[in-house]
Amino acid sequence: MAKKNELIKGSIDSLLLCVIVQQPMYGYQIIKELEKRSQGYFKFKEGTLYPALHRLEKAGLIRGEWQTLPNGRQRRYYHITEKGLNSLVAKRGQWLDFLTAMNLIIQPVSE
Amino acid sequence: MLTVLSHYLDSIRDDLRLDNSSEKEVIQELESHIEEEVKELRESGLSEEEAADTCLTLLGSAKVVARQIYEAHSQGSWTQALLAATPHILFGLLFVLNWWRGIGWLLGMLALILIMAVYGWWRGKPAWLFPWLGYSLLPVVAAALLLLYLPRSWSWVAILFYLPLALWLLYAITVRTIKRDWLYISLMLLPLPTIAGWFIAIEPVNQLPEDWLQRMQDFAPWIGLTFLALGVTVATFIRLRRRWLRVSVLVVSGLITLTMVAYYTEGRISILAFLILMVVMLLVLLSPALVERTLRHSG
Repeated sequence: MAKKNELIKGSIDSLLLCVIVQQPMYGYQIIKELEKRSQGYFKFKEGTLYPALHRLEKAGLIRGEWQTLPNGRQRRYYHITEKGLNSLVAKRGQWLDFLTAMNLIIQPVSE
Repeated sequence: MLTVLSHYLDSIRDDLRLDNSSEKEVIQELESHIEEEVKELRESGLSEEEAADTCLTLLGSAKVVARQIYEAHSQGSWTQALLAATPHILFGLLFVLNWWRGIGWLLGMLALILIMAVYGWWRGKPAWLFPWLGYSLLPVVAAALLLLYLPRSWSWVAILFYLPLALWLLYAITVRTIKRDWLYISLMLLPLPTIAGWFIAIEPVNQLPEDWLQRMQDFAPWIGLTFLALGVTVATFIRLRRRWLRVSVLVVSGLITLTMVAYYTEGRISILAFLILMVVMLLVLLSPALVERTLRHSG
């Protein structure tokens, strides 16, 4: 489990950008979306989501905006920025190259 | 909201050490997350207590969350780092370029320091303010000390009025700042041990003013160098994210600058005085943590 968490920790920025790029989302929604799209694989301490979101916001990759719902409750929605989009394209490329290389090595050799 | 959840948010708030507006936003965001999650857990059939407990387990340790959010917010930009280092660099240049005897330069620098201190305070006390604030308080305390050297009939003015006023001002600023983060007080007081070191090395008390002015002239480049080193320290401090690294940088810089003072003055500071200065430096830089703890416990 510790190794899986390390893997998630290393990829959290890419995961968040991949989810937010679809549509602006708020923290709780992001967690649910990640869980749903990974079929339950990506489950992590929810408290660690916000530091990651704030770090991405500080880096200018996403932008947080408060929205008031009809019931008066407020939610902070995160939008991807132009810089975030560029970063996501680069990260996707790196990740796909990595996956291709990993698959070439990790798959059993067929003789 | 259940007490256990309010306590969770309170303990995050206690360890966040962010400015008021950022703290408010972080807490509001977490509060909204908790409300949403508890509502969903209750709808799945859990009792209120069970939902709260599950929500806290999913969120994880309040201390870890607060520390990680602090680290996400703490790193200042290069502009902020430069801005924070500027008063030390200016003070250093005052000596390196031998401007310290020009009253015009001194007044100009004092005016700039006061303007920046007031501006930073007004703009919500960003991290770059505290070095400026430290230098802006220096003339207040120095004037109080110098008043003691006036003819006896005037000394009582200093003792009765000015000195308590200067100390009260220092105390008021310290208490207001420490509520946010004790490290900013250490940042503010950073030049104090170095100034005390040079003061002891030059020994202006009971000597002819010409003597100590000459000595200051001789040591001016080295005095300047120690303040430039403090400038580098402050810039590094602003760029670091982790608290323990920030504390370490301040303490190491205190050790280095005091060693520089002892080295360049070639034996004018005795080993005992050097050791006392080291202890004073550690007290000045680390005691704000104890003051903060005391203030928090007292309510």
